[in-house]
Amino acid sequence: MAEITINGTQYQVAEDQTLLEAAESLGYEIPTLCHFDILTDVGACRMCLVEDQETGRLLPSCATQVSDGINIVTDNQRIFQARKTVLDLLLSDHCGDCEAPCTIACPAHAKVEEYVRAGREGDFRKALAIIKERIPLPMSIGRVCPRFCEADCRRNVMENEEAVAINDFKRKAADLHYEEYTEPREELTDKKVAIIGAGPAGLGTAYFLRKWGIGSDIFEKREKPGGMLRYGIPEFRLPKEILDRELDHFYKMDGVTINCSQELGRDIELEELKAKYDAVVISVGCWQPSSMRTEGEELAWGGIDFLEKLSQQGYEMEDPGETIVVGGGNTAMDCVRSALRLTDKNVHCYYRRTEEQMPAEQIEIDEAREEGCNFEFLSQPVNLREEDGRLVLKCIRMELGEPDDSGRRRPIPIEGSEFEVRADTVIAAIGQKTIAPEELPTNDWGDVAVVENSYQVEDNVFAAGDCVTGPATVVEAVAAARKAALNVESYLKGEEFYLPFETNVSQGHWESLDMEDLDFVEDPRPQERVELPMMDAKTRVKCFDEVSETISAEKMEKEGERCFECSCTVKNNCELRDLASRFEIEEPVYGGFKTKTGFELEADNPFLVHDPDKCILCGRCVRVDNNVQCSDAIDFVNRGFDARIGAALKQDLGSEDSSCVFCGQCVEACPTGALEYRPFISERLEHDLESTETTCGYCGVGCKLDLQTNDNRVIKVGSIYRANIPNPDGEACVKGRFGYEFIDHPDRLTTPLIKDKEKGEFREASWDEALDYVADNFRRIKGEDGAEAFGSLCSARCSNEENYLIQKLMRAAIGTHTIDHCARL
Amino acid sequence: MDNREVLICSGTGCLSSGAEEIEARFREELKNKNLVDDISVKKVVKKTGCVGPCSLGPIAIVKPEKTFYGKLDIEDVPVIVKEHLQEGKIVQELLIEEDGKKVEEYTDLNFIKGQKQIALKNIGEIDPSSIEDYLAQDGYQALEKVLTEMTGEQVIQEIKDSGLRGRGGAGYPTGLKWEFTANAESDEKYVICNADEGDPGAFMDRSIIEGDPHKVIESMTITGYAVGAERGYVYVRAEYPLAIENLGSALETARQEGYLGENILESDFSFDIEIRVGAGAFVCGEETALIKSIEGERGMPNPKPPYPAAKGLWGQPTVINNVETLSCVPEIINLGSSWFAGIGTESSKGSKVFAVAGDVRGTGLIEVPMGITIREVIFDVAGGIPDNKEFKAVQIGGPSGGTIPAQYLDLEIDYESLDEAGAIMGSGGLVVMDEDNCMVDVARFFLDFTQDESCGKCPPCRIGTKRMLEILERITSGEGEAGDIELLEELGEKIIETSLCGLGQTAPNPVLSTIRFFRDEYEAHINDKTCPAGRCTSLAEPYVIDPELCIGCTQCVDVCPVDAISGEKKEVHVIAEDICISCGACEEVCPVDAIYQRSNKEEGDKNNG
Repeated sequence: MAEITINGTQYQVAEDQTLLEAAESLGYEIPTLCHFDILTDVGACRMCLVEDQETGRLLPSCATQVSDGINIVTDNQRIFQARKTVLDLLLSDHCGDCEAPCTIACPAHAKVEEYVRAGREGDFRKALAIIKERIPLPMSIGRVCPRFCEADCRRNVMENEEAVAINDFKRKAADLHYEEYTEPREELTDKKVAIIGAGPAGLGTAYFLRKWGIGSDIFEKREKPGGMLRYGIPEFRLPKEILDRELDHFYKMDGVTINCSQELGRDIELEELKAKYDAVVISVGCWQPSSMRTEGEELAWGGIDFLEKLSQQGYEMEDPGETIVVGGGNTAMDCVRSALRLTDKNVHCYYRRTEEQMPAEQIEIDEAREEGCNFEFLSQPVNLREEDGRLVLKCIRMELGEPDDSGRRRPIPIEGSEFEVRADTVIAAIGQKTIAPEELPTNDWGDVAVVENSYQVEDNVFAAGDCVTGPATVVEAVAAARKAALNVESYLKGEEFYLPFETNVSQGHWESLDMEDLDFVEDPRPQERVELPMMDAKTRVKCFDEVSETISAEKMEKEGERCFECSCTVKNNCELRDLASRFEIEEPVYGGFKTKTGFELEADNPFLVHDPDKCILCGRCVRVDNNVQCSDAIDFVNRGFDARIGAALKQDLGSEDSSCVFCGQCVEACPTGALEYRPFISERLEHDLESTETTCGYCGVGCKLDLQTNDNRVIKVGSIYRANIPNPDGEACVKGRFGYEFIDHPDRLTTPLIKDKEKGEFREASWDEALDYVADNFRRIKGEDGAEAFGSLCSARCSNEENYLIQKLMRAAIGTHTIDHCARL
Repeated sequence: MDNREVLICSGTGCLSSGAEEIEARFREELKNKNLVDDISVKKVVKKTGCVGPCSLGPIAIVKPEKTFYGKLDIEDVPVIVKEHLQEGKIVQELLIEEDGKKVEEYTDLNFIKGQKQIALKNIGEIDPSSIEDYLAQDGYQALEKVLTEMTGEQVIQEIKDSGLRGRGGAGYPTGLKWEFTANAESDEKYVICNADEGDPGAFMDRSIIEGDPHKVIESMTITGYAVGAERGYVYVRAEYPLAIENLGSALETARQEGYLGENILESDFSFDIEIRVGAGAFVCGEETALIKSIEGERGMPNPKPPYPAAKGLWGQPTVINNVETLSCVPEIINLGSSWFAGIGTESSKGSKVFAVAGDVRGTGLIEVPMGITIREVIFDVAGGIPDNKEFKAVQIGGPSGGTIPAQYLDLEIDYESLDEAGAIMGSGGLVVMDEDNCMVDVARFFLDFTQDESCGKCPPCRIGTKRMLEILERITSGEGEAGDIELLEELGEKIIETSLCGLGQTAPNPVLSTIRFFRDEYEAHINDKTCPAGRCTSLAEPYVIDPELCIGCTQCVDVCPVDAISGEKKEVHVIAEDICISCGACEEVCPVDAIYQRSNKEEGDKNNG
């Protein structure tokens, strides 16, 4: 025994162990990347450094033996900085993508690849389930989302190709299965939350809270719920029938009520709610049209007022005549397109910058133009007046100057360039502001002020959505709703709210890449993006019917094949990423994430894929190969920054000269996605894998294996490392590791077959018939020739239990010992 | 005549300046003149190891007068044979002149005079292939002494008393190392001689093995006797074929003569030595990596502890000493620890071999007493800076060392003083730099070397040095940013703190020491985008040709490496400024000084005016 001191406390510990083992057994957590339980430690990764109090030196705890009197500290600022530097350097040389760029771009971080994959397999119900983990309003968002994901989609790298039609998967999945699918919900607790506003943020908050067992009462000042979805987005983009279908789900949600025509300050009071409910969430949106700050602006409609009025009147309104819409955002486009549907006269859009700077989505601009809108750029209103029953808008021409804070070039009036235009209706759609509840603090922009990095306003009051951020998108509102709900949940549990940091290594935006960078994409065949069926512009401008149709399931399945599945195979269980996230490394300080490398993916064999770009040279694979499997198939090659892991003679593991036996232990040992099972790559997006411990039946060694299954299908075979089992070092061979395809093989027999003696053909039989047939014949043969006439051979593909039963049958029931099996059990 | 011997220096420096031809000419000349038959020619003309003053090669020393003939031309040989060997007259016109005087005796050369040779003692005096030569210099006396008169403990005590410290890098007390190994409990122990000399420019270990291989054998055998080992390994790099050859044949001879093998000198002690040839990885100079390499694995270091003295080769107690360290052992045994301890400073005893290179007159190997000042080494022993240039700095300790500026010229060299000045003793590389050297570029050069030689095992060394190199490259190419110096300092300190072995722990030294003493040069590169020394070509301004002076000789056109100069014969030439890389080659060849850099010209004009 030795007496050691860890972080000031003395312990008696066994001498025959390392400092890391001793500290871990005493409950101290020391990060490491090169330590692997079954391997001898070599102190390579430098993450496990601890401080020797006697010498002041940093020691690798994994490779330092316990010695009497040693006094170490396992964590302090110096150690933290040292570890952080090491991680920082490792990440600067780690090239790949943790998450797919679409998922990172999505404000709600929906698992895009996973639901696209489910859609590709035709399982839109599963797709919906994945979507609804993060997106509570898939029907609406599937129609109106500006598709941040698609802007970053790597499919854009391919020549003449566009992004995968990601959002259409949401629309398809929701249209098909919305009503029949209910998201998993925890049992209701006694906590209850009041939510003010039934727009996307309020509904989203109620949705997520309910998932986690917290009920809510939603109060909405308008007659119907939906907020901007109902009153701000016109029918032709989001039909009310669709919205009602979507909202019906919320009405049916146990523990959640929606109370309309209840206005804060008129029907309900904040103080009252604060007292009555465990928490209050403010999600009142942004409904105050911004001022044009010009004389006579009261003669114009506010954009959002115009749209709200239109929706309240069931899209029947008197002809606005010749209309000018001022503004360049999505609301302006909705106003333009609504006006076009209400009049035969000309509709104009006046914007003070150019088309390139318009904040509206390009598709909205294009559709408005198709529908007949006349755009006037670089024109700013100066004043508005009434003359002879018509409106006269005086404008001034602008030119673009230097970029402003938003990065867009600032428009500057050209002196003396004023001009006048006449119209019957002018709509000022230049933005909206929050009307914050009087009692609450506001920020410089007049939005509800929340505590930094949280969604808390004060006490038990929280806020989310446009009223916090200013006008934004529906997907941003539901993303905020989830975080606000998390915050409320933490608050109700009395815990501190903390959004865990997640490191995302990225190869960069697609614009900076070419196909060679995406070496993980095998055989990228060109395939054009699926077309969204649109009603022809001349027809659609005559009515408020939805302008597009949901794409057919077949086409969407095909579209799914376009997805590159960019994320890393170990995005959910990467030791490097976990540590980097813990140390909150966003972008390495001494050199950024690597985008170009000289290393190529090595995969000229059917079993293993080696991506040297993701390798951190911890050496675990080399040690498991050289010291456990003793194959000596791989080792370090080269020196300096070019050092890497490789097989002899720069060949692939599958080459003739390679001594690799494809036991797969290197993959088990790899802390990152540098080594992967090849068959797993196409299955990797399956999540919620179930682990089953089993004993390999291929031979008599008795290797313990970890069968990882999804829906009873084997996805991959892992190792089990445990003392006191036949192979505590987790060994396996190529058969046990990769020979599982037969289990789910479509050719596998699932019913007994009996051969018709006359025809010589097999026919299907019932189990009873088949067993009777066998039993009768066994009995007959035994009677005629005795038990010695029997011999049994059974397959390595049977389970051990089945093999046991057959030998039992042979010995006990038949009476023969002529039995064999390759495992020789 | 029959007493005279001609010693031809056969160190690599002299070989490359034509020593082999000189030697052949001597033999031929003696043979032609029928002075001696073939056998005695061989006896009279000897190849020795490196004499030291490489810049004076090829070298012949005629004994017994010890007359030194340097910078020999093939035509000088018949003269020496006739006048000196035949007539006994020293050939005055072939002597080297120093301080206005002809130097006759080899030991009177400034380069040799200032030295204190212990490790290098026999080199240049003896024929490495001759055990008789070695025995004539009291060779194997020390071994005989320890085997007959001393116990292992007494040998260790003697070495401890001498104050000998490791000459290979860290300067650990040799006697203590031996004692730990001796005290470690095991039936099997090993002695390793580290001859994996990897510092660029350092070649003292090679010189010792090439020039005096028996000394290495004797020392290792004494070490084996002291610590209780019966087996030794010499780990030498494959780039040293002559060392491997000379040591190999010396081992053979030593075995035949009973100085190695079973029952050495009829004692109970048996010891044998094997040569292990390394592939030339710098990191294999690190003892744990060296051990891995001997064991047949990739040379990658392991954390210490455990130290090799407890758990070394094949997991057994092992003493590892560098060639130069071992070479001090026989002298200490023969002359006594107090003799050795009487040389040097309080903490550092004996002498140290330096490989002097760079902008200095006398380049080569020197062995000087500890405590000598840097000034004495550079200006007295090595003859100072040529071409009337200013001394700027000296890099001591190779790529792991540091750069020491002029204000430290009077620093007395020992382990501690160098450490305080930001350098290390290391293996004794000593690169002298004059005013034309850019210190940022020097740092970049050394870091480029260590970055390349990192074994790749730990991230701070493998990636950290790469990131530092990238920042340095950015700075020298004019893309340095504010904050880069601080970034280098921060990262450098982190690399030192977190790296696994000595390679990474010292790799940032050249950068940190140049920042410490020449920060203004870094700042000039970053802030003013200029290289004060004019070395960083992408920062230097292009050259121009004065049309009034140009005579159209086309010499500059021919010499320009990037074809930036155009112009026909006898017409004025023009340099394309966008192509010019400011290498200065044209300026050097211009016969009429018509080529200049604008700022230099203006400055020159100002000074003139």
